[in-house]
Amino acid sequence: MGKIFDPVFMIQSFPEILKALPITLFIAFVSAVIGLVIAFIVSFIRYSNIRILSPIAKAYISFIRGTPDLVQIMLVYYGIPLFLKAINEKFGTAFDVNGVPSIAFAIIALAINAGAYMSETMRSSLLAVDSGQLEACYSVNMTRLQALWRVIIPQAIGIAIPPLSNTLISLIKATSLVFTISIIDLMAQAKIVGSRSFRFFEIYVVVSIIYWVICAVVAFALSKVEVHAKRYERKVDQ
Amino acid sequence: MIQLDNVSKSFEGTQVLKNINLTINQGEVVTLIGPSGAGKTTLLRLLNWLEVPDSGRITVGEVTIDASKYSKHDVRRLRGQSSMVFQHYNLFKNKTVLENVTESLVIVSKLKQKEAEEKAEALLKKVGMGDKLHDYPANLSGGQQQRVGIARALAVDPKVMLFDEPTSALDPEWVGEILHLIKQIAAQGMTMILVSHEMRFVRSVASRIIFLEHGELVEDSNPKDLFENSKSVRTQAFLQKLTYEEV
Ligand SMILES: Nc1ncnc2c1ncn2[C@@H]1O[C@H](COP(=O)(O)OP(=O)(O)OP(=O)(O)O)[C@@H](O)[C@H]1O
Ligand SMILES: [Mg+2]
Repeated sequence: MGKIFDPVFMIQSFPEILKALPITLFIAFVSAVIGLVIAFIVSFIRYSNIRILSPIAKAYISFIRGTPDLVQIMLVYYGIPLFLKAINEKFGTAFDVNGVPSIAFAIIALAINAGAYMSETMRSSLLAVDSGQLEACYSVNMTRLQALWRVIIPQAIGIAIPPLSNTLISLIKATSLVFTISIIDLMAQAKIVGSRSFRFFEIYVVVSIIYWVICAVVAFALSKVEVHAKRYERKVDQ
Repeated sequence: MIQLDNVSKSFEGTQVLKNINLTINQGEVVTLIGPSGAGKTTLLRLLNWLEVPDSGRITVGEVTIDASKYSKHDVRRLRGQSSMVFQHYNLFKNKTVLENVTESLVIVSKLKQKEAEEKAEALLKKVGMGDKLHDYPANLSGGQQQRVGIARALAVDPKVMLFDEPTSALDPEWVGEILHLIKQIAAQGMTMILVSHEMRFVRSVASRIIFLEHGELVEDSNPKDLFENSKSVRTQAFLQKLTYEEV
């Protein structure tokens, strides 16, 4: 080994590592979408304080917040096969546990995780829209659903975007844990390339740059969406 | 037109309205006055079912609801009879001036978009907001926002309009024109119930004044009698205090 730090090697390993980028992006994107759906339902349950469901939602959020992401991935990875096995025994079905790709476990775990954080964001954003507008909706005889859908939720979205953007970025970063359940994401690819050359530091510099760029792009894009969502707010220069 | 039969309402164990009985006829402009916490806002909100009474019966227009037994459908029918103008305007902040008014026309009254816009535009012109149709509320003054609030309330063709201190959040410069607008609407025969602390305005617009204190109707009379020779010591005390404050 000659050089202490080999920038040429580093630059040359970009393409090799980027091969795993689609997997990382796929996991992040799909879990984000599923997480949003979970969050939407859970926040509605909490906002409307629906009986029985609301305490369950609260416990779910508390659990997700209070346990490490990696532990959650492990719980899903080992828990779902057990669950399927139990169902098979009980109902005589024949779900093939080995047929479930690891990536599905990763997505489920991360979606459940992101869903909890995003639901709290959505709930507080709904509450942040002043209730006077809801009453005004009632006063002109709109239903609660119409009021939420047409007046309250559109404003809550504008309020929610900055914290949702943070959660999304955390989610992207948390995908770097899925190598532990044998998925070849950016992180796993880095280990493979690194162990071939023993130039781990260079490799992880490459990986960090890739994550950094993804997160910066996401943050920028969402800040643009936020501007659009809040277009009705006071324009200072008028 | 409007009737309350034995209506009571409590918040957290405190009775805010005590067994209220009240009848208001078509075309009356009734003003509720009284000290802070008397229950004026609560009374108004009950009529729009924004608060639910503990007991009693409420009639607005053709709809009667009994607090002990009612359906969602009843509530919607009752709400369809009246509309409210709020102290803090409560405009839909994500909608333009025009959309604030068309919203209920399209969603509730099921008008076609174009008809809704025509009707809304006419109303907005009437309240003097015809040149701000595509502005968002955040870019309007308080007085302008309240005009839109009034247009929005007019749009549903209410049988009764409810005003809860429509000028008390306004800068003094806007108060006069909003009061003028309300007076115009009253002059066209609209039945109104109005909570206001603007005594001079109350005196000039009201056909009837109700003094409310501690959740009870203390006095119910015409403006002249109430202001000049009130029969109630409590009303006199209230008015006296106001006069000192106005000086
Ligand atoms: N949602 C609520 N929860 C608990 N208490 C309430 C609620 N709304 C009103 N109250 C209480 O009910 C009483 C009557 O309130 P209300 O708003 O009707 O008075 P008001 O006559 O309109 O007074 P003001 O002139 O200050 O507006 C007050 O003591 C108030 O604190
Ligand atoms: Mg009040």
